[in-house]
Amino acid sequence: MTRPLTLTPSIDATVAAGRARYTSLLGLLGLVLLSSMGLSLSLGSFPTSFPEILHALATPQDSDIAFIVWELRLPRLLLAVLVGAALAVAGAILQGMVRNPLASPDVIGITSGAALAAVTFLALFGTTLSIHWLPAAALIGALFAALLLFLLAWKGGVAPSRLVLVGIGLSAAMGALTTLLIVISDDAVAMTAYVWLTGSLYAAQWQDVLGMLPWVLVAVPLCLAYARHIDAMALGDAVAQGLGVNLLRSRLVMVACSVALAGAAVAFAGGLSFVGLIAPHIASRLVGRGFARLVPAAALVGALIVLYADLLGRVAFLPKDLPAGIFVSGVGAPFFVFLLHRTRH
Amino acid sequence: MPLTDYLADRFGRKRIYRLGLWCTRAGLLVGLALGPSALAANAPQSGRSVANAFGDTHISAPPQRVVTLYQGATDSAVALGITPVGVVDSWLEKPMYRYLREALAGVEHVGLETQPNLEKVAWLAPDLIVATRFRHERVRPLLEQIASTVVTGTVFDFKASLTLMAQATGREARARALIRQWDDRVADFRRQIADTLGDDWPQKAAVVRFKSDHVRLYSTGFAGSILDELGYEQPGAVDDQGWGMKLTSEENIPVLNADVIFVLLEPDDPAIARNYRHWASHPLWQRLDAVQDDRVFEVDAVTWIMGGGILAANAMLDSLYVHYGLDNPNRLSMPTPAMRACDADITKVPKPRDEGAAAC
Amino acid sequence: MLIGRFYRGLGLLLGLILVAAAFVASVILGTTEIAWPTFFEALTHYDPSRVAHIILFTERLPRAVIATLVGASLAIAGALMQTITGNPLASPSILGINAGAMFFVVIAVSLLPLHTPADYVWAALLGALVAACLVVLLSRGRHGELAPLRVVLAGVAVTAMFVSFSQGLLIIDRQSFESVLYWLAGSVSGRELSQVVPLLPLFGGALLLCALLVRHANALLLGDDIVKGLGMRVGTIKLLLGLVVILLAGSSVALAGMIGFVGLIVPHMAREIFGVDHRWLLPACALLGAGLLLLADVASRFLMAPQDVPVGVMTALIGTPFFIHLARRKPA
Repeated sequence: MTRPLTLTPSIDATVAAGRARYTSLLGLLGLVLLSSMGLSLSLGSFPTSFPEILHALATPQDSDIAFIVWELRLPRLLLAVLVGAALAVAGAILQGMVRNPLASPDVIGITSGAALAAVTFLALFGTTLSIHWLPAAALIGALFAALLLFLLAWKGGVAPSRLVLVGIGLSAAMGALTTLLIVISDDAVAMTAYVWLTGSLYAAQWQDVLGMLPWVLVAVPLCLAYARHIDAMALGDAVAQGLGVNLLRSRLVMVACSVALAGAAVAFAGGLSFVGLIAPHIASRLVGRGFARLVPAAALVGALIVLYADLLGRVAFLPKDLPAGIFVSGVGAPFFVFLLHRTRH
Repeated sequence: MPLTDYLADRFGRKRIYRLGLWCTRAGLLVGLALGPSALAANAPQSGRSVANAFGDTHISAPPQRVVTLYQGATDSAVALGITPVGVVDSWLEKPMYRYLREALAGVEHVGLETQPNLEKVAWLAPDLIVATRFRHERVRPLLEQIASTVVTGTVFDFKASLTLMAQATGREARARALIRQWDDRVADFRRQIADTLGDDWPQKAAVVRFKSDHVRLYSTGFAGSILDELGYEQPGAVDDQGWGMKLTSEENIPVLNADVIFVLLEPDDPAIARNYRHWASHPLWQRLDAVQDDRVFEVDAVTWIMGGGILAANAMLDSLYVHYGLDNPNRLSMPTPAMRACDADITKVPKPRDEGAAAC
Repeated sequence: MLIGRFYRGLGLLLGLILVAAAFVASVILGTTEIAWPTFFEALTHYDPSRVAHIILFTERLPRAVIATLVGASLAIAGALMQTITGNPLASPSILGINAGAMFFVVIAVSLLPLHTPADYVWAALLGALVAACLVVLLSRGRHGELAPLRVVLAGVAVTAMFVSFSQGLLIIDRQSFESVLYWLAGSVSGRELSQVVPLLPLFGGALLLCALLVRHANALLLGDDIVKGLGMRVGTIKLLLGLVVILLAGSSVALAGMIGFVGLIVPHMAREIFGVDHRWLLPACALLGAGLLLLADVASRFLMAPQDVPVGVMTALIGTPFFIHLARRKPA
């Protein structure tokens, strides 16, 4: 009768088991990603074998295919991984904050802002300015859209539902202007703009990888630092404030991270959409909803999706090199549907 | 430092730190955006230097294996008697325009003009790549690592394309002959048409292209620049309209008004023909000057808009001679395969895995 | 917000008058000047040799009729969609209707010899139906019920798939890209009334079904449990309402292309003024949607004359300021 309650050991055991499961899942995803990167490196229009690839990686000076490996394939697949991870984390942040499963950077207008800026650049300045300014223009567009979103959604604070609604409106308006520009442009500009809108990693070079890297390296740890705040906010504003969360600052920082990641990704890869929406969903069905766990898993899932989409674009329709955006849904959606089926209740 | 201390106290350390991070990121991004233009230096070597849209490109020896990444370059290459080892897909009449198909039989395709497959280009081991600024500026650093790359500024300036191709391949004499021939033909046309039309010359010409659900009126561009050279005037509607305009509504037909209308159709597409018939039966169409003077000429969109090279230009001029019923003494004959093999300084160089060499 | 039958009735009447005025404006205004007397003459003594009369009947009237029909249908479909899914972000495009229509049209244009808008009306309709059925199939739960969240997620997946395949085809085949560009942007010009007539039974049937289900739609707002408690079958109601949505939105997309703004935002605006009771909300949506599209069509003629701005672009540009204003007025 006076047997002490021994709940704690079994809770500890459960938590430990959960953690072990999580780390092994993450490890598995990481392993899949690495082998997929290896696969992507060895496939292309030019037939290469894996030993040749290793030789080119180790000693580029005396390999015939050093150019293809080091300048064409490697930067492209690294950019795919970075862009996929960035978009997935951006989507995870928004879905965690807004608590609407449809939230993603595309929905609230970040991608539309970048798209409008990019298409405006192509239509009006394509013949005068160097195209190397296009990523900068797209990024500025994304930041402008975010700024406009904040200004319009601000009313004593930033309520997530209002943020999303205003974002949808802005996204519709910017999408309409983008469509208008494409419709009235000549064929060359219209097609270039449309390819950009679809999302493409074509001609990714080392400068793009190095340009993308800082955004990911800074924003992802930053949002992990605020992970507890997001989980707290999920319990409701009052509870969160009770737990000591500064609502306004947390929201600002998280949205800034999301905008930075999505904006940078779109600037380098074009209007790649859908990744920010489904990668977090897929990840949450694998590892649960805790934000700190979700972010790395979503990043890995997003990276895999974009990697395979780009691979398909490169090798599935030879000799054509098709934009990755076409295949992002082709790769992600069926998997997503499969998960929907498996979790019927 | 007192400044940073003051800022840290005023705004909070974390914010300053974050601001610093943002600045670093912004700086990195701007630096990386500007960086590539600084990397475009070419190492001086022996050989010739060709001025093009990105400064001078060095070409060490007369190129034997040429890859053309836009239609104007493909057309110019064929005109100069070169068989490229790689070309991009055409927009209509896929995979290659009919007027070039015979000359380019067996040539490898490297994908779409907007996104040529770079691995394929590298695999073909070219020694010259001809590209255009608008489409290929982004991949130029990669192209330069494959082979010497020359880039044109505008896509539809066929004389510039021809000259650039000739300079890069050492066939300037041939190019000069072609351009001289063109100038002679232009002068002949201008003389004949002024004689034939008298006071009605110069005419205002509208270049109208029908698509399946809208109609385009072009201002500049390939056809526009050639018509300009021949002495035609532009209808007022397309001043200040950039490349041109698209019309969807038949009540805007009066915008197309001109002394002569050249209607660009695509024979492969029945919907375009149907749309044309629909518009042509509207009463507003009957009131156009060109329709009332019976000067509506149906022409081929491929040679008038898409080809972009000197062969297309000559074909366009041929059609003008026909429509106005003028004598056409200086027709340019299309280079046939047999003729090309015996042409000035070309021998067909075998591809790495193909040992057969074409003899003269 | 208007409260009470009298004020709401007055509001609807006002709306009707405004829509009628917009209709007439749409017929009269344009790059060709048509004066009032000419308009009445055309109605009473149609003279096929007069250009103004021809323009009225072949250009202006079809545009106005299509704009009214499509605007009203899209708005009603959007309102119903938001009720079925319980998600204020829902619109008919959630069910994949727009994307399915787009995909089938692109296939028709690039792979089959179907080229004019009149031809691919049927392709578009078929595509809308196929996509919607796919979404419904994918989102069925274990017992056949349709959880709103799953419908939305399945719709997003199907939409993304169809859109990306269409994009692929359009990028490879530039010719088809140029042919469908206006349709993709949403356009009510260049169509004839003869294209509308075969679709009228679909519109009519859907609206009739909708009228019969208005009270059931109201019940859905109370929550699934209460509906079951009242003895109605939730799944069947949602399925039938879904059918209405598919018919209305699918026919609209088939006729006018992708006009995506109306179905999402007009219901919000109507709800602000008339409340959530579907007996008032749906007619209000119809009027508001028709009015918005007519207004957009008129504006699209003048913004960049003589080029036509696609009407889908204009609806977004006109409607967004209103929508953002409303979004800001909502309590957090």
